Amino acid sequence: MSQDEAPVALDIEQLSVVFDTPDGPLSAVNDFALEIRRGECVGVVGESGAGKSQSFLAVMGLLAANARVSGQARLGTEPLIGRSIAELNQFRGVKLSMIFQDPMTSLTPHMTVGEQIAESIIHHLKISADAARARALALLEQVQVTDAPRRLDQYPHELSGGMRQRVMIAIALACDPEVLIADEPTTALDVTIQAQILALLAKLKRERGMAMALITHDLGVVAGIADRVAVMYAGRVVELGTVHEVLKAPKHPYTAALLASMPRIDDTGTGPLPAIGGQPPNPRRLPPGCAFGPRCERVDETCRAARPALTGHERRVACHHPLERP
Amino acid sequence: MTDPLLELRDLRVWFPIGDGLFRAKRNLRAVDGIDLRVAPGEALGIVGESGCGKSTLARAILRLVRTSGGQVVWLGKPIEGWSTSRVRPLRRDMQIVFQDPLASLDPRMTVGEIVAEPLRVHARDLSRAERRERVIDILARVGLPADVVNRYPHEFSGGQCQRIGIARAMVLRPKLLVCDEPVSALDVSIQAQIVNLLQDLKRDFGMTILFVSHNLAVVRRLCDRVLVLYLGKPMELASTDLLYSQPRHPYTQGLLAAVPVPDPDLQPQRLGGALGGELPSPMAPPSGCVFRTRCAHAVAACAAAAPRLQSVETGHEVACDRWREISASGAVA
Repeated sequence: MSQDEAPVALDIEQLSVVFDTPDGPLSAVNDFALEIRRGECVGVVGESGAGKSQSFLAVMGLLAANARVSGQARLGTEPLIGRSIAELNQFRGVKLSMIFQDPMTSLTPHMTVGEQIAESIIHHLKISADAARARALALLEQVQVTDAPRRLDQYPHELSGGMRQRVMIAIALACDPEVLIADEPTTALDVTIQAQILALLAKLKRERGMAMALITHDLGVVAGIADRVAVMYAGRVVELGTVHEVLKAPKHPYTAALLASMPRIDDTGTGPLPAIGGQPPNPRRLPPGCAFGPRCERVDETCRAARPALTGHERRVACHHPLERP
Repeated sequence: MTDPLLELRDLRVWFPIGDGLFRAKRNLRAVDGIDLRVAPGEALGIVGESGCGKSTLARAILRLVRTSGGQVVWLGKPIEGWSTSRVRPLRRDMQIVFQDPLASLDPRMTVGEIVAEPLRVHARDLSRAERRERVIDILARVGLPADVVNRYPHEFSGGQCQRIGIARAMVLRPKLLVCDEPVSALDVSIQAQIVNLLQDLKRDFGMTILFVSHNLAVVRRLCDRVLVLYLGKPMELASTDLLYSQPRHPYTQGLLAAVPVPDPDLQPQRLGGALGGELPSPMAPPSGCVFRTRCAHAVAACAAAAPRLQSVETGHEVACDRWREISASGAVA
């Protein structure tokens, strides 16, 4: 079965997130829409403040108390937005799991690795402590933790950053989730360990047929394991397509400029990088029209006057003057 | 090579670690035997994984940490054992830019005061007006308007704070600028701006740069030569061209292969070739070659003796006894 025919595992529509702050409302995510099919990995790319994490924290029901969420998110047929914590807990950690950037602060320091993995298994699957421990061991082996039997009784501080992230992944996988959200899972790791963790995530996705959202600021990270890519800027998706379409033939000037400005390990050039001028916009003072306009080489009056809508079906772009490739 | 600006001879930085009240102190060898000559005007990259000793090495050169052995030679003079007051005038010529742009700026000082502070310490004869002129001049050079002098660091973005940090380091026109992961905390679109700025400053002021970074792509763009460190020891030292096109050390090859490229035709295969294992504990480094526990080419002899840097060709040294048998694979064009 090709991915196009695979059932939609996570369907997000018109999702918006607004934070109430002492300085007034702050709009973090606008009209976010994405569907992720079984067995598919979608990379969600953007810089700090682009709204990529907030979108998925909203889906998980994990936003700060001052957040207001509107729109829809469905796990299979189950709606997620607006559900109570008790209702969400039937899905979270079971069918819908998330791993975070910092594997140290995401683990409980006073519980052993085995206890933390087993906790979720016992709670959700109602099996015995012994059975849960056996399953925890099997999970550690699946995520390629070395010396797994000994690790069960170790505490997080005894593990390296890479090992902690593997433990986080084991916890997320404990109840066989349908959807895994990985929020910058390798950003805190060394480049060699990053490659190992990404290879592991790619393998798990393949073997388990999970749907995966991979949130990252690094276009190189998505190139290795994503099937499709959504590029976000200033709280909105500005481009969506297959990983080949977006990275090899970007249509949005922001995506193209970001790709061009990244120094590449396989680039022998020594001259100045084609940097993007200016700063990402302050969400409180978004320019009228296109948010990328002030930094864009193709900007004109149309762009300053009206914000471009995200158009297209499978291949989408939000730009009045998208790049055309032969 | 012309007379070096800076020379390191068997430099060592060992940190004594107390295991407990009754156990003997042991040493963590953060930097363990580095020999290096840095020419004036050169940009030298220092790369490796976290814990390889690259920041400690940079700080030891600036005497921000105490060295345990070997020598730092500055303009032909060994400065080991010099008192703080004797070293202070040298600091005028050696400045540093830190990783975290906001945390490295005093939040209670205005940008003008921050950038003027090195002048107040090292150029005390300047009048107030001259000082102000120098500050505004260097701010303009790093791309900041004069009116920022009365504002505070929290009013600026990460990229702008890093420009302020660079202005503070550059205001004395140092001979050596040490950059410790200067773009790691910045957004992707801002990194390129700062890399370009450092390139411009190097060209315009003929400054020598020590660029400490885990980002091998940025190092390729900016540096003339690269030193690869692993557990405090040198693995490979080569011109940038040779290091990236013909990496000789298996560790260098593994590091380069691990760097993702934003190309879906190349990257999935690259992931398959990632270096396995993790950095061993620096408290108990492997005998012989410290890299051998992760090396696909290791043989019994590698456990016996630590290889020293040996010359492959002019401008290319590698600390591996088996380099002749290992192809220069892992090259990245």
